[in-house]
Amino acid sequence: MEVAQVDFGLLDEWISQLFECKQISEANVKKLCEKAKEVLMLESNVQPVKCPVTVCGDIHGQFHDLAELFKIGGNSPDTNYLFMGDYVDRGYYSVETVTLLVAMKVRYPERITILRGNHESRQITQVYGFYDECLRKYGNAEVWKQFTDLFDYFPLTALIEDQIFCLHGGLSPSIDTLDHIRSLDRVQEVPHEGPMCDLLWSDPDDRCGWGISPRGAGYTFGQDISESFNHKNGLSLIARAHQLVMEGYNWCQDKNVVTIFSAPNYCYRCGNQAAIMEIDENMKYTFLQFDPAPRRGEPHVSRRTPDYFL
Amino acid sequence: MENEKMEIDGVELSMSDSTKTSEITSDDIPMEDSAINHSSTDGTTVDGENDTVYPIAVLIDELKHEDLSLRLNAIRSLNTIALALGAQRTRDELISFLDESIDDEDEVLLVLAEELGRFVQYVGGDEYAYTIIRPLENLASTEEPVVRDKAVESINVISDAMDQSQVEKYLVPCIARLSQGDWFTSRSSAAKLYPKAYVKALPETKEKLKIGFEKLCNDETPMTRRSAAGSLKDFISVLSPEDVVEYGIKNFVFLSNDDQDSVRLLTIEPLIEIAQILTGEQNLKHLSESLNKLCSDKSWRLARALKDDSLQAHLGEVGLQLMEDQEAEVRGAVCTQLAGFSEIMSLDTLIEKVLPRLQTLSEDSMQHVRANLAKNVTGLCEKFGPEKTVEHLLPLFLRILKDSFPEVRLNIISQLEQINKVVGIEQLSQSLLPAIFELAEDKQWRVRLAIIEYVPLLASQLGVQFFDEKLSNLSMAWLGDPVYSIRNAATVNLKALIEVFGVEWACKSIIPKIMAMANHPNYLYRITTIFAITTLAPTVSSAVIRDLVLPTVETLMNDPIPNIRFNVAKSLEALTPVLKSDAATSSLVDTKVKAILKKLSEDPDQDVRFFANKASFATGITV
Repeated sequence: MEVAQVDFGLLDEWISQLFECKQISEANVKKLCEKAKEVLMLESNVQPVKCPVTVCGDIHGQFHDLAELFKIGGNSPDTNYLFMGDYVDRGYYSVETVTLLVAMKVRYPERITILRGNHESRQITQVYGFYDECLRKYGNAEVWKQFTDLFDYFPLTALIEDQIFCLHGGLSPSIDTLDHIRSLDRVQEVPHEGPMCDLLWSDPDDRCGWGISPRGAGYTFGQDISESFNHKNGLSLIARAHQLVMEGYNWCQDKNVVTIFSAPNYCYRCGNQAAIMEIDENMKYTFLQFDPAPRRGEPHVSRRTPDYFL
Repeated sequence: MENEKMEIDGVELSMSDSTKTSEITSDDIPMEDSAINHSSTDGTTVDGENDTVYPIAVLIDELKHEDLSLRLNAIRSLNTIALALGAQRTRDELISFLDESIDDEDEVLLVLAEELGRFVQYVGGDEYAYTIIRPLENLASTEEPVVRDKAVESINVISDAMDQSQVEKYLVPCIARLSQGDWFTSRSSAAKLYPKAYVKALPETKEKLKIGFEKLCNDETPMTRRSAAGSLKDFISVLSPEDVVEYGIKNFVFLSNDDQDSVRLLTIEPLIEIAQILTGEQNLKHLSESLNKLCSDKSWRLARALKDDSLQAHLGEVGLQLMEDQEAEVRGAVCTQLAGFSEIMSLDTLIEKVLPRLQTLSEDSMQHVRANLAKNVTGLCEKFGPEKTVEHLLPLFLRILKDSFPEVRLNIISQLEQINKVVGIEQLSQSLLPAIFELAEDKQWRVRLAIIEYVPLLASQLGVQFFDEKLSNLSMAWLGDPVYSIRNAATVNLKALIEVFGVEWACKSIIPKIMAMANHPNYLYRITTIFAITTLAPTVSSAVIRDLVLPTVETLMNDPIPNIRFNVAKSLEALTPVLKSDAATSSLVDTKVKAILKKLSEDPDQDVRFFANKASFATGITV
């Protein structure tokens, strides 16, 4: 008990520091990731989650918008959260964003669930910014290595009250049942193909059946696929992220699938709203939309069209 | 000695070889007491006899290191090296070494340029200040503007330490070289060096400097002209008044007619400088024509610099034109100067000429123009006075309050206080409150938040009856807002209201409603009750807590959702001190509060247990 108390104090310190968008030291990141590994190792590939919970989509290093998200949805641990991956890359504050979420997970493992997105991978982060950001902010790649090693332990999917199936991407032609997902060995880099890759990369589509994904990884799946998957596994809904949707959330496939995207004005230029889905204790859900937080001290990217384009 | 000098001069020096450096005894390096003191305060180990050379060797070695951060570090420690070498060798060896190593990353050069500016004391004091000019001159010619600017800054610092003969012998030739450089980089640096040199130069040199500076004002590259325009203000400030009229105005007029607007923009500052030096009459004669052309918003500063009626009237005309400028940026910028307008124009002119234009601006197609207007339009209130504000400005405010763009609405709300000051709360509540109430349900939560934060002030001014009639429902509705921050602000708002209207009022109209929310089917709203309890605890009496609050807390401690239960634990930290403070209720601490904590500390959820234990620790209750 004594030891745990001390650790909580330290974690609380880190969390409040991170909330000011200040990174923690390399040594502390190392400590944090070790602890997080212990916590995440115990979780299932299909991590059971109780309601009430607030479900969130991509964040992509937009730290100030994550702070806005908490202003809208409530603070952790008062509000329970489920994040569906893609914490890093694209935005300017991947380091602070992912460190904060991991620290919260370690501090309140019962109050927050963090799934793996396709960007939580060694390969993708080297292309889309997280690697460079770590290098810039810490002077070496050690922090990047710590986090990408940790990403291997993130659960792939979550299941809210045996009804709502949450994951980053979508379904896979090689997976019929949740038990199949449970049997995967997830502790590895996201493969280029196969069931684990598909869960993190696939998208729903208007066409029936399976299709080739324009992304080059995963598949597209039609309403017939999601309907039969939900029926077979006794699910009411698949909640996923992975795709920019202008309203922040988007129903598709006759309400078998919902997409939730929580990075407003994605890449500081898309002009989209963000959303989160609050599920209360009676499994009733409400969507809350939000706009970008007013920016201070960040490169200001105007959404206003200059006169000469009009 | 010879050995080490070679190593300093040699480009591929290898001072890390410690056997070599250890051969150099401390006798070789003239080390003064001050050096030792200084270095040891820096935390460098130079106190030991044999250790003295080693750190210096490492630093010199690091100046050539592959690793950028090490080189940066070495440059930052240059003063240590200089101290150890002594003034003579710093001049002869270190400075020339630095001069040669100028081909480095910009980051290193930037730090070098900065450090050299503080180097006079290390080369032997003021009389040797000139020795630092040479490397800085090279830095002032580099491609990176940041490095150049820093080098120029440092040269100007060093020139303070130089006497007239040094300036004549070293600084002026340096400026001449830079002014004649092939690239605009050195020429634009040169422009910033003229003012300081001019002050100390001999009369005949002054003439040459004036010619040189004028050349830069006429330079073919806009970059150089921009730099000259930027430095013109300082140059004018050191000229004699006659020179200002003859020479200063000539160059100002020339630059203010530049075909590059970035150059023209920079002539505002010199214009103000000139205007302050000249008399009002001279100003009118020399500057009004340029002003006409300088249709830039910034020229408004001039209005205050000059106390000249006709010029102000003239400026007013320009301003009115700018309000109709076709560039949205200009229209937006003019709006920020509305307070300035009210200073220089008569009330009649404002009503006749400015007001219609403001109405047009409030319907501007660009939202940021409207946002600027909303933020600044209240600057006119004071001049208008209560009556005229109500008559002329309030209709405008109302229109702005209903703007489709949230930032516009937010901007005018943030100015309510100022309107209130002028027209009084009565007027405000009659004419603006309906619009404010609409905003209380605005789609943008930040607009709602701004309104909430304004409510306690309204309440205190309008009184209980008005509040109960018009604001009470609103204040309670915010507790059930879908956005957490609004619910939270609503509890803070209620606390402020209780401070205004008293506990008795709270028991009657607020607290029962808060407690009723404990039955909400959604935990996020039940939690608001707990948050409210925690926030309000210090404001309400112990009897209220006993009779109205504790029963709710006791219900919520059995809530099925752990988040509610651990917030019950948190709330006890706030409730206990209030209960303890009153003899009539203090016994409840050991009975009821203790019982709640005991139950929560045995909760199946680890977070509930954690906060229960934390609360019992904070309140000193052992369970």
